[in-house]
Amino acid sequence: MKRLPALLLALCLCLPLAACGGPPAETGSQEVTIRCGISNAWDALMPYNSVSGSNYARIVYDKLYDRLAYVHADGTLSPRGAESWESCEGGYAVLFHLDGDAAFHDGTPVTAEHWVETFTLMTDPECPALGRGNFSVFTGTDQDGCRVAGEPFGAEAVDELTLKLTFKTPTTPEDFLLDKNREFYVLPTHLLEGVEAAELMELDLWKAPVGSGPCVFVSEIPGSQLTLAANQNYQLGTPGFDYLVITVMDKSNLLTALIAGDLDYYAIGGSLSADDVPLAEASGLTVLEGTVPNTFYELMLNCERISDARVRRAIELALDKDLLCEQSTHGLGAPAGSSISPESPYAASAVPAAERDVEGAKALLAEAGYDGTSYTLVCTANRAGLAALMQQNLAEAGISVTIETVDSAAMFAGMADGTYDMGIASHTPGALPLWFTESRLSETNNIFHVSGLEPYTSRIQAIRQEADPEARSALVAELDAYLAQERPFIPLWFGTALHVQSPTVQNIDYPSASFSNENVWAWVKE
Amino acid sequence: MSGYKRMWRRLLGDRRAAVCLGILAAELLCVLFLPPLLGLEPDLTDRTAGFWAPPSPEHWLGTDDVGRDVFSRLICGGRVSLLVGYGAAALNVAVGVPLGLLAGYRRGPWEFWIMRLADVFHTFPSIVLTLCLVTLFGASPLNLVLVLGLLGWPDIARLVYGNTLSVREKEYVTAARALGARTGTILVRNVLPNAAAPVWAALAQRVGRAILSESSLSFLGVGIRPPQASWGNLMQSASSLAVLAGRPWIWVPPGLLMVLTVVCLHVLGNALRDAMDPRSPAGRGGWEGR
Repeated sequence: MKRLPALLLALCLCLPLAACGGPPAETGSQEVTIRCGISNAWDALMPYNSVSGSNYARIVYDKLYDRLAYVHADGTLSPRGAESWESCEGGYAVLFHLDGDAAFHDGTPVTAEHWVETFTLMTDPECPALGRGNFSVFTGTDQDGCRVAGEPFGAEAVDELTLKLTFKTPTTPEDFLLDKNREFYVLPTHLLEGVEAAELMELDLWKAPVGSGPCVFVSEIPGSQLTLAANQNYQLGTPGFDYLVITVMDKSNLLTALIAGDLDYYAIGGSLSADDVPLAEASGLTVLEGTVPNTFYELMLNCERISDARVRRAIELALDKDLLCEQSTHGLGAPAGSSISPESPYAASAVPAAERDVEGAKALLAEAGYDGTSYTLVCTANRAGLAALMQQNLAEAGISVTIETVDSAAMFAGMADGTYDMGIASHTPGALPLWFTESRLSETNNIFHVSGLEPYTSRIQAIRQEADPEARSALVAELDAYLAQERPFIPLWFGTALHVQSPTVQNIDYPSASFSNENVWAWVKE
Repeated sequence: MSGYKRMWRRLLGDRRAAVCLGILAAELLCVLFLPPLLGLEPDLTDRTAGFWAPPSPEHWLGTDDVGRDVFSRLICGGRVSLLVGYGAAALNVAVGVPLGLLAGYRRGPWEFWIMRLADVFHTFPSIVLTLCLVTLFGASPLNLVLVLGLLGWPDIARLVYGNTLSVREKEYVTAARALGARTGTILVRNVLPNAAAPVWAALAQRVGRAILSESSLSFLGVGIRPPQASWGNLMQSASSLAVLAGRPWIWVPPGLLMVLTVVCLHVLGNALRDAMDPRSPAGRGGWEGR
């Protein structure tokens, strides 16, 4: 008889352990789970509260929340939250005709009012929204993206399904969507009634968010695993699976996991290394080469610590970009002297990559009176080799560097708060000339710690205001030349990714994943 | 003949132990003297050889992802790994032996607080605690020695404590007390030599464990900072499937050296224990009569 209480006790102890299982177990052939790998964690589930603002966070928001459009790798656009769009008011406004079938995960239809309320809340100066600078393109906002009292705000609901966005400068719908689509999501504002703007980010709602994207939140192990379910009512179609489990794992393990069958897919941050192609193909996976440059590498600089532009230029001259590019891309990239993509219509305005000139670097350092200060170079662990090469390059010119490896979020946070002096970062490039500079050389996001932003912001503003293509190209060239002279960051190279396809999931638009959106609604796993 | 001389004679009489001792000594000599003798440059990229070059007369073990000579990195990495191993083990002993002696000899509050502190240290998962401390203080070789050394003392302290409890009741200790010897003198002259014998055996195993801990930390990416080499971070490149499957010259040599070192240390530790144990045939007649 003594065994019964012991058995009950053991059962009670085991039950909580069983609950720690994470993703729902597949209970038969009806439930299909797609397992997706990601090499860095998202930092919040509220899309306007991401400290890093990284693609890893965006790719998660892309599943939970809806955007206006879907951006393909080649820069073409498809409907998503909006069925169509048109320019109006002489190019100063865009009308988005929303999809009437779109609905939040709680069943509430998505209306233009939801979009307007979302934008209104996020531009409220009281609201601690991050990345608010993106809203500064709308009328009625200041340069930080905060709404200006007394001025009409540039987001308005024309009717239930028509959203009108008004801009400070002439903006085509295509330019706006290419540049900003991944920054704007519609929030369930009907669940936010009565909430003070200042307390918006503290809501429990963001721990189990309700969005209107193609996937529904199920559970999260912060920084480690996110389990989502297919949104059966998504307007573009029901995803061909039941659950999507996104797991954070080291980049070097992604291919192994894919070959072993532990993953069905990985894309963001996990593009295949050219080195791994034979192995991937031998394992029955298909390798595709990207059609356009989809990675831009830069060396972020802390201009407060490296305050002399001559030292920053010397750093660029000391770097062997050809060698670094070869080490990183295995021949799938080209050194750059500018953040303007080689595929951009403004590529002719870009400053070409500088040739390595160690003697020139030494001369600049001597002229600047460089005192041998040692700088901290931060990077993610998978770029330690790249950092070691840079360290050697810089040592040849007499610049001393200490390498620190941290995760991506810590690197950006450390660059933003001035902990580190240099950082190796990569980004998905856009076709617009200001895709990189505009958001990083502003009062709200001065990640390079530039002391006087006016020369940059005035040139950026002039480019935005200019409608004539030729005059605009000239202004872009002027800005690029100024950037080359001041070098708040060092452009390194543009690379083209290799994508590896597992046969377990069909219809994945691999190249577009690099642009922070995935056609989840079309994915099918048998 | 003194106890130490007898111990050495017995130790060297054990053929396996002598071979292991020779291997460890050769290892030490190699990592200390080969870099200056051969002019090894572990952090220098050879652009002509390129990245991931296979073994060749110029690069006996090929080059790594940055075009650096793997042989040079293996030898120079050995310096770091062995420094961390021997340094951490020495610190284990430097902290653990006095605390174990005090707890066992003085007993009372000394025994209570020292042994409960050891219990507290034992309750933490050591790898997690090490990870946290290394992240907090940085991963220089010196910090690794300090962290691994200061976290490993409880095992040594327990060992010494147990022996001290037994030794303090022996007649020669009682006699020393009766003759008015001071506590410090008794501890150093009478208790320590008889209580610390097993520590020598444990010490060899602690070295091996510290080398493996450094390797684990480096493998997890929080060990020795790049570009400095260690056997652990050389092994880290094997986390890439292409390297694991197609470039064994990168990870097999550091792996083999690590295994060889740890095995030698274990054999040596066992031999030391036997040589110093008065109850074992090898150590009979040993230490009590000193």
